Amino acid sequence: MTPTVSASGLSLRYGGTRALDEVSLRLTAGVTGLLGPNGAGKTTLLRVLATALPADQGAFTVLGHDPATARGRQEVRRRLGYLPQTPGFHPDFTAFEFVDYVAILKEITDRGARHREVRRVLDEVGLADVRGKRIRKLSGGMRQRVALAAALAGDPGFLVLDEPTVGLDPEQRMRFREMIAGAGEGRTVLLSTHQTEDVAMLCHRVIVMAGGRVRFEGTPAELTARAAGRVWSSTERDSGARAGWRTGTGSFRNVGDPPAGADLLEPTLEDGYLLTLDDAGAEVTA
Amino acid sequence: MTTLVEKPAVSGTRNEPGGAFKAVLALTLFESRRLLTRIPVLLAFTVYIGWTVWRAGRAWGDYPALQDADRATQGAPMLVGLAVLLSVNQAALRSRRHGTERHFAVLVLPHWCRTVAHALSVAAAALVTAVCVAGQFGREAMRPGAIGQGSVAELLVGPLTVLLFGLAGLLVAGLVRSALVAPLLVVLFLFLFLFFSGLDYGGRWLLPAVEEATSNTLPSDLMGRPAAWHALYLAGLALLLGLVAVLVAGGRKPAVFAGAAGALALTLVGGVAQSAGDSPELVKARERATVHPEQVQSCVRRDGSTYCAFPEWGPRVGDWAAVVDRVRSLAGGSAHEQDVVVRQRVDARYGLSGDAALDPLKRPHEVTVGTQWGGNRVPEFSAAVAGVLIAGDEKAATSICDGRIVPLMWLAVGWESDPLDALRRVRLNDTVTGSDSVLQPTNGLYMTEAQTEVLRALLDLPRAEAGARVEDRWDELTAPKITAARAAGLLGLPAPEGEDKCLS
Repeated sequence: MTPTVSASGLSLRYGGTRALDEVSLRLTAGVTGLLGPNGAGKTTLLRVLATALPADQGAFTVLGHDPATARGRQEVRRRLGYLPQTPGFHPDFTAFEFVDYVAILKEITDRGARHREVRRVLDEVGLADVRGKRIRKLSGGMRQRVALAAALAGDPGFLVLDEPTVGLDPEQRMRFREMIAGAGEGRTVLLSTHQTEDVAMLCHRVIVMAGGRVRFEGTPAELTARAAGRVWSSTERDSGARAGWRTGTGSFRNVGDPPAGADLLEPTLEDGYLLTLDDAGAEVTA
Repeated sequence: MTTLVEKPAVSGTRNEPGGAFKAVLALTLFESRRLLTRIPVLLAFTVYIGWTVWRAGRAWGDYPALQDADRATQGAPMLVGLAVLLSVNQAALRSRRHGTERHFAVLVLPHWCRTVAHALSVAAAALVTAVCVAGQFGREAMRPGAIGQGSVAELLVGPLTVLLFGLAGLLVAGLVRSALVAPLLVVLFLFLFLFFSGLDYGGRWLLPAVEEATSNTLPSDLMGRPAAWHALYLAGLALLLGLVAVLVAGGRKPAVFAGAAGALALTLVGGVAQSAGDSPELVKARERATVHPEQVQSCVRRDGSTYCAFPEWGPRVGDWAAVVDRVRSLAGGSAHEQDVVVRQRVDARYGLSGDAALDPLKRPHEVTVGTQWGGNRVPEFSAAVAGVLIAGDEKAATSICDGRIVPLMWLAVGWESDPLDALRRVRLNDTVTGSDSVLQPTNGLYMTEAQTEVLRALLDLPRAEAGARVEDRWDELTAPKITAARAAGLLGLPAPEGEDKCLS
C-alpha cells in the first residue's frame, strides 16, 4: 500500500535529552497505533508530524508534501486533522461555534458548506443533540468528542490523535473506538495511546517507541507473535520471568523466557508490547 | 531521504484561490458577531442608544443648530469604545487563556490573520457606532426647527473613537498576555481624558473627543474646530495601532510595514495640523461677526419689522416674527403698531469657549436675538421685545427698575399657552413668587417681590380681561417711575404686600 506519511531519520533534542532518535516510518491508510511508555517520544513525534514542532534532522512528507518549506507546510496543514493530548477549549463557545471556528482556521470559507460540514462531524461524533450547548456545560467525554469533531472537520487525509481516550470511562472509550475506527476508513490515522486494547481492537499497524526510537513496526498480530512461547502459567512467581502477576484464578502469568516444561499460554498484544520494551531496555511495569 | 506518495489516500484539501483572504473575512464575521454580543458591548450600546433616545425626546432640543449637533455625537461612543477595548482584548487573549494556541498553530490560517480578523471586528463595532451616530444626527437634522450644517469630520469622531480604543485593546493583547492590563488601560484612558481635557488648545486635541467648555453656538464658518485634521489624526492613529498589532502577531509583511509607516505619517500630519490654532482670517471673521454683524447678515422684512440673521439662521426668522407679533398684539398705545429691528448677535471673538454676555443695543427699537432657540430662549427673547416696545431701546429696557416691569412681563409671557410656566422658565431661579432676575439675550431685568405679586394677580385674570385692562391703561402703566402699587391700582388689582425695591 502506498504510504500517506513517509518519515526518515527524524531526530529532535530537548536540551540534553534525545526526544526523537533517527525515527523512520511509513504510514498507510487505516489506523496505526503508536505505543510506548511515558517519555518514549510519542507526543514529540506526533507534534513533529503535525508540523507543530520542527525536527532537528531528518525529513518527512505527508500526502506528498514536504513541510520543510512554508508552502509545503501549509499544504500539509490543509490535509491534517490534529487532536492534541490536552486539547484546549473556549468554554463560552457552543460545540458548534468551536468546531465552526476551527473549520474557518482550516480555510473552509463557504459559510453554507462549512456549517454543513460542522453539523456532519458533530453528528459523526454523536454530539448532534448538544451542538448548541456551551462547552463549559459539557462533560469531559463530550469535550473530547468536540475536539475529535474539530480534528475531523474538513475531511483531512491524515489524522493525528494523541491519547484521545485518556480519562474516559469504559463506555466513553468504547464510543471513541467506534469513532476512530470510522475515521480510519479511507484515511490515515496515527493513534498514540497507552492502551494496548485500543491498538488490538482498532489498528491494522502498530509502532512501539521507547527512548525516542522506533522499537517495532508491524501488524498487531506480528507484535503479539513476538511473545509466542514466552508466556506461561505457574503456581508461584517465576524468578526467571521479566514480568509476572497473579491472575484472578490465583495462578501466576509470567512473561519472559519460560523454564523447560512450562505451561505455555496464548500470548496477547500486551505481552508482545512488554517484551518489546524489555528487549529495548525500557522499564517494564506489570 | 523521503519517499514521495504516488497515490494518496482520501484527502480533504481546500486549496481554494484566495483561501486565506476569504478565511479572514469569514473569521471577521465570526468575531464581529461575538464582539457585538459581548455583555459589556451590549450594555454600552444599550446605554448609548438609550441616552440618545432620551436626549432626542427633550422639548428644548427642537431647534438644534447642526454645527453643534454633530459634536454632540462624540462623547457617548467613548463608552462603547471602552467596552470594545475590554472585549477585543479578551477575545484576542482567548486562545492563550484557554490553551488552544498550540492546537491552532497547526491549522492553516496563521496567527496574525486571526489578529487581522479581530481588528476588522473592531471596524464592525465602529460601523455600528457610525449607524447610531447617523441616526442621532439624522434625528436632529430632521427636526423642523433645525438650522446650520453638520461636519462629516465631526460625525466621524465617534466611530473613530471606537476603532481607536478597540485597536488599542488588540495591540495591548499582543504586547502583554494578561487580561488584567485592559481594565488598567481603561482607567489610564479615563485619567488621560481628565488630564488632557484641561489643557490648552493644542493639547486637548490629542484626545479622541474634544468637548467645548460652553454651549455657545456659532455660525459654521466661525467654529474654528480642526475637525478634518482631527479625524485624520484619529484614523491614522487607529490604523497605526491595528497594523502594529498585526506586526506583533507575526504578520511581518512588506505591505503591513508600509501601511504602518503611512499610518504614522497620517497621524503626525493630522496631529500637527490640528494643533495649529486659529488662523488670522478666522480671527478677523469672528471679530466682524461680533462687532459688525450687519456686514455678514442678510435682512428680511415681515409685517413692517426687519429681521437680520446670519445666513444659516434664515429659516428661523418665521419663529422670531411669530413671537414679535404676539408680543406686539398685547401692547397698547403706539407700541401696538411699533415696528422693530431684530438683530441676531453672537460673541464669536473667543470661539466656542467664549460665553461673554452681549451688551444691550442702543439703537431705537432694535432687539437682540441669540443663536440658540427653543425652550427658555423663547420667553427670554419675548421679554427683550417687550422691553424695547416699552422703553424704546434695549439699553433703556434693561435698566427698567419700576412698575413698568408688570406690563413688560405681561407682554413677554401673556401670550404663552401656560404664562405661569413661561414666567418660571424666564426667571433665573425658576421661581414664580418673590423677587428674581429675568433673563434676556443681553442683560437681564430685576423683578421685585411686589412686581411679581401684581403680575401673578394679572395672570390669574381671564386672558382677555387682563389684556383689556393693560391696553386701557397703557400710557400710565408704561410711564417711568411708576410703582408696583400704582400699577396694581391702575389694573384694578389688590395692592402688593411685598418689597418693591430694586437692586442698586
